[in-house]
Formats: sequence, structure tokens, C-alpha cells
Amino acid sequence: MMRKIKASSAQAMLPIDRFARWVLIAVTAFSILLLIGPSLIVIAISFEPRAYIAFPPSGFSTRWYQAVFANQQLLDSILVSVRISLAVMAICLLIGVPAAFASIRGTFRGRAALNAFLLSPQMMPGMVIAIASLFFGAYIAFRASDLMLILSLSVFCLPFVVRIVMARLADLDPLLDEASANLGAGKLETFVRVTLPQLAPAICAASAFTFIEAFDNVTVSLFTSDVRARPLPVELYYLVQFDSSPIIAAISSLEIGLSFVVMLIIAKAVGLERLGR
Amino acid sequence: MTDAVLAQPTRLSLARRVIDGGGLWPAVPALVYLVLFMVLPIVTLLTFGFVTIDRGAITDGGFTLTHIAGVLGDPLVWNLTWRSFWIAVVSTCLTLVLAYPIAYAYGHLKGVWRTLLLVAIISPLLTSALVRTYAWIVILGGRRGLLNQTLLSLGVIDQPLQILNTSTAVVMGMTQIHLPFMILPLLAVLSERDRRFEEASLNLGASQVETFFRVTIPMSMPAIVAGFALVFAVSYTNFIIPQLLGGGNYSTLAVQVYEQTIVVLDWSRGAALATLLLTTCFAFVLAIVSVGGRLTRWSEVRR
Amino acid sequence: MSQLVIENVSKGFGTLKVLRDCSLSIAKGSVVTLLGPSGCGKTTLLRSIAGFLIPDAGRILVKGEDISHLPPNRRDVGYVFQNYALFPHLTIRENIGYGLKIRRKPKAFIRQKVEEALGLIAMTPFGDRYPKQLSGGQQQRVAIARSLVLEPEVLLLDEPFNALDAQLRLSMQIELRKLIDRVGITSIFVTHDQQEAMTLSDRIAIMRGGRIEQLGTPLEIYDHPQTPFVADFIGRANLIPVAIRSGRTDSPQPIHSAMPDGPGTLVVRPENLSIAEGPGPGWEGSVGFATALGATIEYEIDCGAGEPLRAVLPRRPGVAPLTPGSRVTARIRDEAAAILLSGSPRP
Ligand SMILES: Nc1ncnc2c1ncn2[C@@H]1O[C@H](COP(=O)(O)OP(=O)(O)O)[C@@H](O)[C@H]1O
Ligand SMILES: [Mg+2]
Repeated sequence: MMRKIKASSAQAMLPIDRFARWVLIAVTAFSILLLIGPSLIVIAISFEPRAYIAFPPSGFSTRWYQAVFANQQLLDSILVSVRISLAVMAICLLIGVPAAFASIRGTFRGRAALNAFLLSPQMMPGMVIAIASLFFGAYIAFRASDLMLILSLSVFCLPFVVRIVMARLADLDPLLDEASANLGAGKLETFVRVTLPQLAPAICAASAFTFIEAFDNVTVSLFTSDVRARPLPVELYYLVQFDSSPIIAAISSLEIGLSFVVMLIIAKAVGLERLGR
Repeated sequence: MTDAVLAQPTRLSLARRVIDGGGLWPAVPALVYLVLFMVLPIVTLLTFGFVTIDRGAITDGGFTLTHIAGVLGDPLVWNLTWRSFWIAVVSTCLTLVLAYPIAYAYGHLKGVWRTLLLVAIISPLLTSALVRTYAWIVILGGRRGLLNQTLLSLGVIDQPLQILNTSTAVVMGMTQIHLPFMILPLLAVLSERDRRFEEASLNLGASQVETFFRVTIPMSMPAIVAGFALVFAVSYTNFIIPQLLGGGNYSTLAVQVYEQTIVVLDWSRGAALATLLLTTCFAFVLAIVSVGGRLTRWSEVRR
Repeated sequence: MSQLVIENVSKGFGTLKVLRDCSLSIAKGSVVTLLGPSGCGKTTLLRSIAGFLIPDAGRILVKGEDISHLPPNRRDVGYVFQNYALFPHLTIRENIGYGLKIRRKPKAFIRQKVEEALGLIAMTPFGDRYPKQLSGGQQQRVAIARSLVLEPEVLLLDEPFNALDAQLRLSMQIELRKLIDRVGITSIFVTHDQQEAMTLSDRIAIMRGGRIEQLGTPLEIYDHPQTPFVADFIGRANLIPVAIRSGRTDSPQPIHSAMPDGPGTLVVRPENLSIAEGPGPGWEGSVGFATALGATIEYEIDCGAGEPLRAVLPRRPGVAPLTPGSRVTARIRDEAAAILLSGSPRP
């Protein structure tokens, strides 16, 4: 990388520029280290054979991973989280994909307002959405539960689906729809045969993203989840505070692994660069 | 040739109009959903600050200002608001300083290096914030914390540093955890920027440092403002990081909201505090955007 | 009976009138080109025929049947898009078979038709590729084949050569004309390139400002333009404002005409002017600019008022061109080649 930066400015450099270059390289290197270092440390200590944290680990053992899979409470909470995340994913796709369609292909007045409204949950702090759901639920005599968690997480996750699908839709050539009509296809057939297959990668990426966002979300979960069936983030939230064994590092490493799977799916489906938009 | 260029945009909008009638209806389920599960709840939240709540039900008292007044009249609340604010500002500034060089370097990279850097940026984004907070507990934690272990063994210090459970830890954690949020908007702008402006500046005799400060940064101002506003908002309202890295006695406005609602179960006060959090957050973000907007307008005029 | 009839079609977008009272009728198997400057409404007319737009007024008939209110997918009209609009997620074979599949034709039938079509455009080896893997010219042929397998009554092509580079264009034009003749399909082309129009069409419809200004064979239009605009648009022409008085023009070289008195426009193609050195009967002026083009020399002659005259003369090897500033006289070589139109040149 450094080689590249140097190579790009083979011209004679002013001393100040040379100095600035090294500052830039140093800060960049530090930032990169900061981005990935902590996760790497967590992965390393998850293989610690002893019962307390040390870095570098004093040996290599998978005992804490075995401990995770032997811990019924953790396994239950993982199951709860998987169920909830799948439900959130389904809701967000079901309402988010058509909404993205309307907000890109629509020609009605107030399309900009629709866009803003669909993306507005992003502007809301997660905690506010969560408390509001909790209060509203209480007001209509509806307790914190799996369903409430699913409903409130879906509000939080909807903008992700809308945004990813919208970006792809905006790239689609609308002439393809006309071509399809010209070849005899009705609107529904065109949607199924032309639009949907081209949206598939975006929908796939959006699903993966929504799943992991729902799976990882602590803020909303702390407020609206069922106290008797804690999802994984809530379970972990308490564990982090009251347990100091490397078992947390082991769960964390598994979550990091999951995030890599999601990243691979997204990279394969739409490319990582897309996520930046 | 020109015909093709001229006809294109009109044909696009024209085609859109025809394809699906351009109806609003596909968005209706999402709209209904958001109204039911976002708008109504938030209205409820705002209302709860002005009534007395007992076990989730509004008591007979009706409209009252006591809770809001109680919150606004409490010096502790103002202290916490102030702390939330400066922690958010400091950590957002730090994020910007750390994020900008990365985004800048990204634009200069090619091929596999570029991909690797992107992976380094995205992977934390997809990793649970809780896991990443936990990493900081491991690094900063007491005597066995990674940092203390290293510094002690290197002989830099002879007493373990107490970082965990201080504001420093909270700022460090927030900065690192929110770094990707700052990088991504910058990345989009910096990696697609038109290098000719910089080349023109160099050609006119400016050094690379001058060019960076006079051309590159002003031109990326919109992304800086967007990233700044976003990271400020998430930092200001985050209660997990202060709770876990700040220790049991550490509090911010957001932590208070959580404690009043979930631990103390005083929902009226919780709602009043949440209202304060939400309004101050919007006010600050608005301030950032309007100041940034002024800077941006200036840079756009230049463009 | 005409294969396609367009009857008084008008279309506006808001206050902008894009098509005004367009009428056109096309015989079976013939190729008509809509030619006109950019923005004159060619695409709009084509899209109205395909049903992507609903005209505000007028009718469109195919084989005598009014199709004006049919949706696009119920019209038997093929459309080749400017960027070809091949489905990127389907192979070439699947693209060509798309319409047949929509029509629920038997699999074996579809396969046979697709192979025939691939053979027709000489693309059999590329059948399993995706559109992105083909060159522009190949994509164009696929787009045409995709429409042709459905055996539509009319084929519409909107600037089909625009996306191709200049080198490829001419050979593709000839190729396409041969293909159309082989299939014998009634076609409408849109272009703003007059050379393309002359190469491809049996008849050309010159459009301007939403109207069809003239319809005729390429040579009819070249030799007998009915308006100064058409004269200028097809080929090049000197448009000389004249006044007609008692059966002749008031120009330095008078032209006889049966037209009533009033303003007129004399249309003279540059190759129909001859030039003599020195003064004489005709348009006197000085050489402003001379361009030797190899086989010909083009002169620009300033005659005082008005636009300079252009003359194109065969170049004789060894004879030096006239130098700028030389006094010359231009004359119309053959009075029969002069066209006199009523009205001023640029209304
Ligand atoms: N959907 C539309 N809305 C508004 N104006 C349009 C639309 N489509 C075309 N026009 C206008 O109609 C005129 C003719 O367009 P078009 O038929 O595309 O011209 P051509 O194909 O001859 O270049 C242009 O001035 C164009 O701006
Ligand atoms: Mg056009």
C-alpha cells in the first residue's frame, strides 16, 4: 500500500509533503489497526485454555467453544435470535421491496416525501424507537414479547432493505420493461421475469444485512424483548457485565464469523462498495 | 449522437410513467407499517412525558407538566446532557480525524489492497457492537487488561492505568465503534472525486498539503457533514458503551433514559428524559447540518 | 391495403405539442424512414405506434384494424430499442425465445424458432452467451431477431445504429436492409442521419416540429423538395431568396416559373452551380474560401448581401484552385436542376 502511495507521486516532493505523507500513512495504519485489531484480539483470546482472559493466550484450546455449545441457556437465546431475525427479515422484505419499487418507479407527487419517510427510522435513535414501542405496547396492553421485538426491530431494519433495493432499482434500465411489454408480456409477467431476477442479488444482500442487524441489535432488544426468552444480544449484554471467562470471547468470535459470512454474501451479491452508498 | 444524448433523460422518465402507472400503492404496506409501529409509538412516547403513568396505564391526573419540569429543573440532568454532548463531540471529532485518512488512502489504492481495506472497514460494521464493546473491556480492563499487561511488561508504567470506567474509555470505545459510520460516506465521495482539481492545484504551484486542505477537504465537505451528523447522533444516544465501559456509576443522558425506563420503571420520567434526549439530539444535528450546509454551499459555489 | 396507417396523430406533453396531425401510410413489405432533426418527435411517433404512449388524437391502424387503444403487449408491433434493451440476465437464446415463451408456445417449437432466428442473423455459436459478452453489432442483430421471431406485422427501429461506431455502421446498414428484404417485413426506421436514411429506405418521411413535412422516395425528395427545410435537410442546398414577378424570378439569372407573384426561394444544389472567372451574367462575387476535397473542390462565394453561395466543382488535376478574393460569377448549370419554391427560405 505504501508502495502505491509513493509510486503515485514520483515527482519531486516538497519536504512538507514528504512529512505529511508519513503522517498520513501513520494515521491510516493506526486507523486500520484500530478497525480490526480488537476483533482479532477477541478471536485470539477465545482459544485461551485457562479460565481467565490473557493475551496472547497461554495455549490453544477449544474448550470455550465447547462450553458455548454445552450451555443450554446460550443455545436457547441463539435460537430465539435466529427466529426473531428471520421474522424481521421476512417482514422487511415483504413491505420494503414493494416500497422501494414505488419510490423509484413512482411518478406520483410527493415521491421525495415518501423516500424521506421510508428512510426516516434511520434518523431515529434506536433507543427512541425501542422505548416508543414499549410505551405504545403498554398503552394498548401489549407486553414486551417476541412479537413486539420483531415489530420494533423491523422498523429499525426497514431502511436497510429499502435503500439497498432502491439503489439496484435505480440502476435498472426501464427500457427493459418496455422491451418485455413489446414482446407480449403483461405487467406482472414483466415483473416476475425481468425485474425480479435482476433485483435478486440486491434482495439477497438486503436479507443478509437485515438478518445480521436484527441478530446483533442490543439497543432495541433490551427494551422490547421477552424477559423469559432473551435473545442472544441481551443474554450477552448481561454476560459481559457479570462473567469474566473467555466464553464470551468464544461467542463473540462466532458472531464475528457470522459477520464474515454475511460480508461474503453481500460481496458476492452486489459488491461491498455498494454498502458505502 | 446529440439526439441520443438529448432524448435519453426524457425517455427515461417517460418510460417510467408508462411501466407501472407510477402508483403509490406498492408502498402502502410499508407506510401503514411505519405509521402503526413508528409514528404512533413516538406520539405515545411524547405524550407519556406529559401525563402520569402507572404500570403502563395513564392515571387520572390528565395533562401535567410536572415530569418535564422535574427533568428540566434537575441540575443532574443538565450535567448528564452536557457530558453526553461533549463525549459525543470529542469522539465524533476523533472519528473524523481517523476516518479521513483511511477514506483518502482508499482512493489511492488498487486491486487487492483496495478490497482488503474495504473488508477492514465493512467487517466491523457487520460485527455486533456488543462484541466490539467487549473487546474494549478486554483491552482496557483492570490489571489483566491487554493494555496494562503490555505497558507493564514493557516497563513504560509500573502501576496499572485506570482507564476502564472513565470517560476516556467511553470516548475510545465510541470512536472505534463508530468509525465505519464516518468512513463510508467519506469513501463514497473521496473515491469518486475528480482528481483533475487536485492536479490543477498542483499545477498552479500549491504543495500537496495545501492542495489537500484547499481543494480535497472543501470538496468533500458534504460527506464530512453527513458523517459528522450521523456519528454525533449515534454517539449522543448510545447507552450501551457508556454503561459497559463507563462502569456502574457512570451515567449519561441516554443511560438515564434506560435506567428510568427499565430499572427504576418510572415511565413518566423516562418519557420526559427520552423527549429531552430526542429534541436535544435533533437540535444538535440540525445545528451541525446548518453550519455544514453553509460550508458546503460555499464549496459548491466553487465547484 | 396499407400494412400500417397513421391517421392524424397528435401528442403533447403538457403544453408542449410534440406531434401535430401526423399521417402516414406504409405498404406491406416496404421500409420507411422517419428523418428529422433531434427533438422533432420521431421517437414519440414510434412509441405511439408501439403503444408506449397514447396519442391525444388520431388513430393507428394495422392491416385496417384500429390498434390505438391496445396496450403495448397486445400489439403485433416489434420494437428495436436504441440501446437494444436485451435482458442482461438471459442468454441470447433465452432473449430470442422470450416472446414465444410469454405466448406459451410449445418448447420444441420455441427451440426450433430460436435456432432458425440465430441462423438468420448468423449468431448460432453465440447462443449461450449473455448480452454483455457480445459486441454492439451483435447485440443489435439479437435485438432484431428477438422481435422477428414473433413475426410482427410491423418492425420499428429507433436509431438502431446510434450505438455503433462509424466504421461498423455502413456495413450493418446494408446487412440489415438485406435481412429485412429476406424476411419481407414492413419496417419503420428512425434516424437523424440522412445518409442512413438514403441507404436504408424505400421512402423517407421528413419530420419537423412534430409534422411530417414530406414523404417520398430518397431521390424524389432530393430532386423535388417541397419546402426549403427539406431541401436543406436532405443533401446540401443554396437557398436563395427571390421575388417572383410575372412568371420569372428577379435573380441575376432569372428562372421561369408559372407561380403567382410573391416571395420565393430558389433551391440550387452546390453541384449544379458553375463558376466563371470575372464578371458576367449570374451571381457576381468573390471567392471567400476554397476547400479541395480530392475529387471535388468546394467554393464559398460571397455575393454581398445574404449567405454565401456554395459550389462544388470537379477538380481537374494540375489545375490550381481559384484563390480567395478572386472575382467570379456563379451560374446555375442547368435550369431544370433549379427548384423554385414559394415563400422565404427560413420562415
Ligand atoms: N415524456 C416526455 N415528457 C415531456 N416532454 C417529452 C417527453 N418525451 C419527449 N418529450 C419532448 O418531445 C420532443 C420530441 O422528443 P422525441 O420524440 O424524443 O424526439 P426525437 O426522437 O425526434 O429526437 C422533445 O422536445 C422532447 O423533449
Ligand atoms: Mg429519438
